[in-house]
Amino acid sequence: MDIQYRYTFPYPREAVWEALREEDVLRRRLPGCRRLEKVGEGKYAADLGLQVGPISGLFTGEVELADAHPPEGYRLLLKGEGKPGTLEADALIRLEEADGQTLLTCTAQAQVTGIMASVGQRAMGGIANLLLGQFFKGVEEEIRQRQG
Amino acid sequence: MAKVFGAAVKRREDPRLITGKGRFTDDIQLPGMLYAAILRSPHAHARIRKIDVEKARKLPGVVAVFTGADLEGKVGPIPTAWLPPGSDIKTPAHPALAKEKVRYVGDGVAMVVAENRYIARDALDLIEVDYEVLPAVTDAERAMQEGAPLLHDDVPSNVAFHWQAGNDPTPAFEEAEVVIRQRFRQQRLIPNAMETRAAVAQYNSGTGEMTLYMTSQNPHIHRVLLSGILGIPEHKLRIVAVDVGGGFGSKIACYPDEALVAFAARELGRPVKWSEDRSENFKATTHGRDGIIEAELAAKKDGTLLGLKIKLVANMGAYLSTAGPGVPTILFGLITPGCYTIPYVHVDVYGVLTNTTPVDAYRGAGRPEATYTIERLVDLLAMELGMDPVEVRKKNFIPADAFPYPTPTGLEYDSGNYLGTLEKALKILDYEGWRKKQEEFRKEGRYIGIGWSTYVEICGLGPSQVAGAVGFQGGLYESATVRFHPTGKVTVFTGTSPHGQGEETTFAQLVADRFGIPVEDVEVVHGDTDRIPMGWGTYGSRTTPVGGSAIAVAADRVLEKAKKIAAHMLEVAEEDVAFDAGIFQVKGMPDKQVTLQDVVLQAYLAWNLPPGMEPGLEAQAFYDPVNFTYPFGAHACVTEVDPETGDVKILRYVAVDDCGPIINPMIVEGQVHGGVVQGIGQALWEEAVYGENGQLLTGTFQDYAMPKARFFPMIETDHTVTPSPHNPLGVKGVGETGTIAATPAVVNAVVDALRPFGVRDLEMPLKPEKIWKILSGRKEA
Repeated sequence: MDIQYRYTFPYPREAVWEALREEDVLRRRLPGCRRLEKVGEGKYAADLGLQVGPISGLFTGEVELADAHPPEGYRLLLKGEGKPGTLEADALIRLEEADGQTLLTCTAQAQVTGIMASVGQRAMGGIANLLLGQFFKGVEEEIRQRQG
Repeated sequence: MAKVFGAAVKRREDPRLITGKGRFTDDIQLPGMLYAAILRSPHAHARIRKIDVEKARKLPGVVAVFTGADLEGKVGPIPTAWLPPGSDIKTPAHPALAKEKVRYVGDGVAMVVAENRYIARDALDLIEVDYEVLPAVTDAERAMQEGAPLLHDDVPSNVAFHWQAGNDPTPAFEEAEVVIRQRFRQQRLIPNAMETRAAVAQYNSGTGEMTLYMTSQNPHIHRVLLSGILGIPEHKLRIVAVDVGGGFGSKIACYPDEALVAFAARELGRPVKWSEDRSENFKATTHGRDGIIEAELAAKKDGTLLGLKIKLVANMGAYLSTAGPGVPTILFGLITPGCYTIPYVHVDVYGVLTNTTPVDAYRGAGRPEATYTIERLVDLLAMELGMDPVEVRKKNFIPADAFPYPTPTGLEYDSGNYLGTLEKALKILDYEGWRKKQEEFRKEGRYIGIGWSTYVEICGLGPSQVAGAVGFQGGLYESATVRFHPTGKVTVFTGTSPHGQGEETTFAQLVADRFGIPVEDVEVVHGDTDRIPMGWGTYGSRTTPVGGSAIAVAADRVLEKAKKIAAHMLEVAEEDVAFDAGIFQVKGMPDKQVTLQDVVLQAYLAWNLPPGMEPGLEAQAFYDPVNFTYPFGAHACVTEVDPETGDVKILRYVAVDDCGPIINPMIVEGQVHGGVVQGIGQALWEEAVYGENGQLLTGTFQDYAMPKARFFPMIETDHTVTPSPHNPLGVKGVGETGTIAATPAVVNAVVDALRPFGVRDLEMPLKPEKIWKILSGRKEA
């Protein structure tokens, strides 16, 4: 499944870059995040409790930030396993600055199994957009608080 | 009394079924009953490193949790029961619960038994399985290629069998002036019976008797297979299938789940119930079709067919299901020449294992695929030669005086009049009129197409000797017991196992007609191995031709004895007695008569029987047909395609079928409607889709397009009557004709509609999106 998402931050690129990659921000703003522990450079063990549409449950897995090209972009690798099935996502995140704003483009390929595949497939795109929206909005809020 | 054979008697099973008074497996409640749930693999292919069931075991209300290791020596592997000869078939072990590897999404891994269904379901979430995910393959052609993931170590290249039939077609292709080559895809379908599978098992440890209520199309086959799997002798194992809510082939197979339920009941000493939920049914109940066909048709320029070469790569799923291997081989390969005189035919079939749900019979089973192939090829030939597709068909039909007709694939068609059904359909449709309309509509920018399908199929399975010769691990005769009760009422016991086809009515009509008694006086019993001596079940449109014939033979035996008693009562010789409409009468002496009821009562009172005659009045018959039956017909479909949206609308559908004499026209019409609708479903909408990693993406009715009544126009049906010469009723079977005929009729119509755009072939299902994509950018030529 391919996911495309765009989000515009009303802040400069460096500020967005920093916030996006900060452990505390991830912990506070990743949707449903109950636990985030650093296990290596840019690697975290995480528990995410999600309840969206047909998919609800606790996902245990790994979040990895790789291929960093500050402040242009990086790869976000997600691996999770929960009762609704397993989730694997490989997302390319690109940041472009224009007129003091930052346009974030997220291009991801996701693979799911279990009930998410058989029942949730057609809703998955919408759910992914919803979760990504929540996350980026949260990050924007973090930047606002910091700058405010 | 009006004749009941041929009367549109209302289905007597319906009032019970539509008012909630049916007795389906899930309706059965036994004291102390436990409930089972099965944990299924979320991965298409994975090694099981470890299964931890401790947390599940500790959940209050959970009685037991079983994994593959617990079945050791208690539940044997699930067998394959159709082994086509000469095919080098390999039947990989199919454990009831996966032990080392899971091989498809839905493969059973563990079973929870609990005090109620909710606890059982919750406990599944507490089982932890450590999987090592392996690469999966879902496409059969890719599975055969080098380097493809291997499902079973003992099946190299995932090829489970390779089967061939027919003769050497080289002469036909040397002589050919035209050769049509086309690749066809038969997409995978999901049977979707209204009732999902279910099982209730009760074990008596005192007597060692096991009763297993289950959703079965063939209880006696299930008894013999489960007896072997569970190690319970057949005389201690009773299989009961009372009301079954449709099967379409998906309740033929012997699955692991029902065996597990019986095992749990025996282990725990309490009755156990399991009911499949709908999501589970999508993944764990057999699928249908799924094959790639490469076909070549050799012909002369005048449209004469010379030869046919077919290669089929059939996707069998992860294990070979019970009857699975027979479908793409015997039931497909032997009927490929259809209703045409084609002297040279060769069929080459590969059965390939993939990481998908096992594939078995689905309404029509092999014959729809064969009919689609030949009927599309004939249309392609007509297109190539600029001939009318009807003319090509007429030119090549096996003539009505050529029966019995031996085919190059080794069958012998029993009787037929192919031109007769076509002529009738041409008239009902007003073919010439529609061709004119087509021209006129095109001028208005509307695209109408007319498609034909003239089919013949193999029904009435079948002669047991042939069943043995083609590798079916059973007989295909049928048993019947016809029992008069002292007051003149009749119970009929049939070894067939109807599950929606209406034989409780049809068979009662058949018996009432022979005895000259009211239909209400006849009860039909099926689906219980303790009440019925033997049977092979309901599939392959065999119930009426084989099961009905067995009943006719048994009824005639009853009458034979009754006539002897009547003659004795009337004090005349047997030859002087005539029987008609329930009355024995001395020939030429209308006032000297006894009713059948009088005779029946006398048979049971035994006060005055002929010397040496045993009391009682019942008879049993084991009827083994000498040949299959070959119903045939002509279906026509008129479609309109909207080039702006790609939407296909069916304007007319005409089905003229010949299934021999009709016992109940209302039931036959219903069977044709249902079959046609399922066939159109395949042609236009239905498709099971797997993602690359082997996830079933069409696992709900949101994603799998089930046809709705509003998608269809009134289906117009008619018949010709060409009796089968070899069974006592002349009947041929009609349960699958619609599904077999419909797909090419629809696709031929849509391709015909899109001829102005240069469309030659379209792959099923013809969803609007697919047609729109093909048409976008294409200009009318």
